[in-house]
Amino acid sequence: MSDNSLNNLPGGFKGMSHDMGSDQTAFKGVQWGKVMMWIFLLSDTFVFSCFLISYMKGRASTVVDWPNTSEVFSLHVGDVPVPLLLIAIMTFVLITSSGTMALAVKYGYEKNRKMCGWLILATAIGGLTFVGMQVFEWSKLIHEGVRPWENPFGAKQFGSFFFMITGFHGTHVSIGVIFLFIYARKVFRGDFDNGKRGFFTTMKSDYVAIEILGLYLHFVDLVWVFIFAFFYLW
Amino acid sequence: MDETQKKEQATTHKIGIYLWIWGLLFVLSFFSYLVDWFAFQGLLRWTLILIFMFLKAGLIMAFFMHLFWERYALVNVLLWPMTAIVGFFVLMAAEAKYTVFTRLLYFFIGG
Amino acid sequence: MSDEYNQKNTPLEAQSSETISGTPSKDIDYVRPAELPEQDLYHGHSFITKWIFCQDAKVIGIQYFLTAVFTGIVGLVLSWLMRLQLGFPELVPFITAEHYYQFVTMHGMIMVVYFLTALFLGGFGNYLIPLMVGARDMVFPYVNMLSFWMFFIAVCVLMASFFVPGGPTGAGWTLYPPQAILPGTPGSNMGIILMLVSLSLFVIGFTMGGLNYIITILQARTRGMTLMRMPLTIWGIFTATALAMLAFPALLVSCIMMTLDKMLETSFFMPAILQAGEVLNYEGGSPVLFQHLFWFFGHPEVYIVALPAFGIVSDLISVHARKNIFGYRMMVWAIVGIGALSFFVWAHHMYVSGMNPWFGFFFATTTLIIAVPTALKVYNWIITLFRANIRMNTVMLFCLGFIVTFVNGGITGIFLGNVAVDIPLSDTYFVIAHFHMVMGIAPLMVIMGAVYHWFPLVAGRMLSEKLGKWHFWITFLGAYSIYFPMHYLGFIGVPRRYYEMYDSPYVASATGMNEFITVAALIVGFAQLIFIYNIVSSLSIGKPAGKNPWKANSLEWLTPEVPPAHGNWGEKLPVIHRWPYDFNVPGAKEDYITQTTPPSEVISAKVEKT
Repeated sequence: MSDNSLNNLPGGFKGMSHDMGSDQTAFKGVQWGKVMMWIFLLSDTFVFSCFLISYMKGRASTVVDWPNTSEVFSLHVGDVPVPLLLIAIMTFVLITSSGTMALAVKYGYEKNRKMCGWLILATAIGGLTFVGMQVFEWSKLIHEGVRPWENPFGAKQFGSFFFMITGFHGTHVSIGVIFLFIYARKVFRGDFDNGKRGFFTTMKSDYVAIEILGLYLHFVDLVWVFIFAFFYLW
Repeated sequence: MDETQKKEQATTHKIGIYLWIWGLLFVLSFFSYLVDWFAFQGLLRWTLILIFMFLKAGLIMAFFMHLFWERYALVNVLLWPMTAIVGFFVLMAAEAKYTVFTRLLYFFIGG
Repeated sequence: MSDEYNQKNTPLEAQSSETISGTPSKDIDYVRPAELPEQDLYHGHSFITKWIFCQDAKVIGIQYFLTAVFTGIVGLVLSWLMRLQLGFPELVPFITAEHYYQFVTMHGMIMVVYFLTALFLGGFGNYLIPLMVGARDMVFPYVNMLSFWMFFIAVCVLMASFFVPGGPTGAGWTLYPPQAILPGTPGSNMGIILMLVSLSLFVIGFTMGGLNYIITILQARTRGMTLMRMPLTIWGIFTATALAMLAFPALLVSCIMMTLDKMLETSFFMPAILQAGEVLNYEGGSPVLFQHLFWFFGHPEVYIVALPAFGIVSDLISVHARKNIFGYRMMVWAIVGIGALSFFVWAHHMYVSGMNPWFGFFFATTTLIIAVPTALKVYNWIITLFRANIRMNTVMLFCLGFIVTFVNGGITGIFLGNVAVDIPLSDTYFVIAHFHMVMGIAPLMVIMGAVYHWFPLVAGRMLSEKLGKWHFWITFLGAYSIYFPMHYLGFIGVPRRYYEMYDSPYVASATGMNEFITVAALIVGFAQLIFIYNIVSSLSIGKPAGKNPWKANSLEWLTPEVPPAHGNWGEKLPVIHRWPYDFNVPGAKEDYITQTTPPSEVISAKVEKT
């Protein structure tokens, strides 16, 4: 088995030119589906970057004051307003689901179907909780008069960017949750061990598919880190 | 089948590392939250927000998304375009400054 | 020593040209074994799975090609209507000002996005990529199939905009707010919404397709096929696809934001507006933000059209001049460099937009820099032709036509890249002449040449040379007649996107020119019927092509069956020993050495290490 190892290849930048100059594959030892997901995530990074850059430009060029995000996004615990409480809980939930997903990938490769399946379900529950809290936040703000076209707190663009960016992010999370449920089923049924063909793609799959889904979910978590920093905290 | 299993097992890591990173992410999120709790303002606020944000992003990408262990070819192909986005950001920040300058000039001083 | 995929013994060390001489093996034909097992292809059996929802990249490529050509014909007819109005205003009273702007907009959007991009990436990309890299199909055929149908739906939505109340949008292909969504601009209700929806669907579809092209090229090449042994066609399409992956997001974001501005009255791009005495609900938005986002997409987009053309023309020239492309490595780096730089030049479309004035300095500099690798490529094409064994057939004529028109269009681009010169020329016919030369005529010459070149592979028959030469000369001379005079119209200041000249000083001087251009445009347009007739008739009565009629080196000509069957290579995947440009190698028996020819067969030839 010592032949079939990435350790024999040169590392560092020398390794990079070595790999790129090689025949057959440019990314050694990386399954094509994984590379595909990475390039898709690169493209999606540009989408969210364009959203956030537009938000930055919009916010920086208003002559009307931008709403105070600590106040707008605070939750009342009894009489005390706790700033950004809901957001903090949402961040906690998303990071936790990222953690369970990373563990699920690990157990998947170790072919521990039970642990893998349950961790995937835990991740899905985390994702659903996140989306649920996002919906709650939306309804709370709508109740307080925030609309895409105007809001009582400050510049009109606040509501527009808020609903657009969190809406896009929430959609991405929801799509991830759907795939998580599908993959949990596949894992419990043993489809990745039996080489069962997919319903739509008719392709056989193996546990690398869970790592690929994991990449997508970590990306979604990453986007949240940036949205949290730029939109809620800034 | 045996060898593939060994190969695949060789690429997974001990559970400890995931728990450490998980913990670090919570700590950094807590620090980010404290920035708002202590109501830092101005340059200090923005610098701290950015530092914690990039640290968290870096940890997730390096360890949860496995980039720390990937070969340089993949890492560089992914990271350089992302750094180029910073260039776009800087230009648009300059544009925003110009826009607000023209608005203040024309709305309040008269063009 | 088994050279098939062997799970136990697949060394991951790279095999590049340097390693070949360094291996201890005495076998000069050695190519390292396969890293990966063979692809598990889906074989359709019903008519629907073989021809409609087909997962074979070659069929998908033809589907893209035909759909793109259909949209191109619609765009061509629109251009005739525009030219009729400009050349003979009284002749066509049904073309009102509103209609004219709708034609302008739809012509532009169709040609740039739905015709050229889809044709180069979807049409040529799908057909040629698996064949030229030695794969059996794309890595994810199912998603590839979905990507075509997404494109098809996008085209349907776009065409539907012709039939909705208000008609299609007349905002110009650049769709600038605030006018695009306000009354006064044609199609500002349903038309613009359908356009934005169609573009979003297009982006989603091309993301799916683009992923396939990139991953197949990076991860699914055959044994011995290093990146620097790929034909320049692949390099051009690959770089263009990478640009598409990173530029389309900006288009998607701007379309989404403009849709929200229209449908939900958000103010992303809409400033405070007074419309016919009424204050609208918008406030605080920034129209220049749209322009930045749009051109961040828009400039790489034109290189997405140009780079595949660069790559393809290099291959056509070297095959039909029987000479290796001069400076292959620099051509590759030039393509990659142009691609990377194309992300830093976008605001040269915005010199007169009222953006931050300091940007002019930055973007003019980067625009002039990007001209350097582009010029390098032109020099290399010319040097390739120097003292070559040129076959003056239709393909070569189109290549020469490309070089001439591209140099013309490229030079006028340098004029426009300088801020001071751009200010009087902006929004005049000079700009129209520039981009039609460099994006319309030149890539179109390549497309036509490429069809004459690869038709024998796809259909198994040759196209008629006689009809081809007629087609070329009318198209080339005609296109020059259309666009060269336009430069002068631009110099004297005739504005673009004007429905008519009104009572202006231009009327007297420009009328004759406009009439001449219109007549030329109609002739060139109708001359394309020769091309269509050639294709349709050669399908049945064309000379059978046989295998590799042009005696080319690249892999697509070396399949066991012509046209290539599903799975492309039959039993065994090809093994590569050299680059595709070994033409007229001293000492070789033939004037070409295919990529799969092992070194032992050409031991007496002075083959260079590639």
